[in-house]
Amino acid sequence: MFLTFALVTLVGALAMSRQKNLIVAGLCLVLSFIGMAGIFLLLSNPVAAALQIIVYSGAIVVLVLFVIMLLNAHEEEPAGKARPVQRWAGALAAAVLGAGAFKLVAVSPALHPANVQPTIPAMTLGQLGSDLFHHHLLAFEAVGLLLLAAMVAAVLLVKRDL
Amino acid sequence: MTPVHSFWSEVLGGGLSGYILLALLLFVIGLATVLIRRSLLVQFMGVELMLNAANVALLAFARFRNGDVRATTFYLFIIAVAACEAAVGLALIVGLYRHRQTTDSDRADALRQ
Repeated sequence: MFLTFALVTLVGALAMSRQKNLIVAGLCLVLSFIGMAGIFLLLSNPVAAALQIIVYSGAIVVLVLFVIMLLNAHEEEPAGKARPVQRWAGALAAAVLGAGAFKLVAVSPALHPANVQPTIPAMTLGQLGSDLFHHHLLAFEAVGLLLLAAMVAAVLLVKRDL
Repeated sequence: MTPVHSFWSEVLGGGLSGYILLALLLFVIGLATVLIRRSLLVQFMGVELMLNAANVALLAFARFRNGDVRATTFYLFIIAVAACEAAVGLALIVGLYRHRQTTDSDRADALRQ
C-alpha cells in the first residue's frame, strides 16, 4: 500500500513538473495530493487526509486552475531568451541537494529502525478539536485573523483603483 | 543482512525511512520545478509541492516517534497559513499580469515599468 501511494504521489509530481499544458499540470498536482492523502491514511491520520483533500486538492488547486483560465495562460509563453546555463545549473543544484539529503537520510541514526518507537493509536477529530480549543485557542483566533487579512490583501492587490 | 539491504527493505516496506525519502523526493521535484520552469503558475505549484513534502515529513515523524495530537494541530495551522499564501501569491500573479501582460518569470525581472 505504501508503495502504491508513494508511486501515485511521485508520478503526479513528476508529471506536473514536466507538463507543458498548465491545466493538465494542475490536474497532475491533484493526483499527487490525493496520493499524499493516502500516505496520511497509512500514517493512521485520517483527519490530515481529509484536510489534505478538502484544502489542497479542493480549494487551492481550484484557485490555481481558476487563475490559469482567467489569465488564459494555458501554455507556457515562448522563451524570450534561451538560458541553458541557468536551467542546467538549477537542475544540478536540485540534484546535488537531493543527493546530499538522501545520504543524510540513509545514515541518520534518528531514522534507524532500532530507534523508532512503537506506533500510536489513530488520530481522531475529537482529539484534534480538544487539543485545539484547550491549548491553542489564541493561535486559532490569530489564524482566523490572518485568513481575514490575507483575503483583504488579495482583494486589495487585484483591485485596479480602490 | 547488510546495512544497505536493510535500509532498502525499510524504505520499500513503508518504514519511517520510506516516508522521509518520499518527502525528500517530493521536495526535490518541487525545487526543480521552481528552478527550471518559467511560468509563475507552475512555479507556484512547485512551491505548494515543497510545502506538502514538509507536511509528509512532519506527520511521518509524529507517527513513528511517538508524537501526539499536537502534530496534527500544527498541520492544521500550516495549511491555514498555506491557504493565505496561496491567496496572496495568486493575487500577486494576477496583479503582475495586469501590469505586464505576462506570467513568465523571466519577463518580470524589474520592479519598475
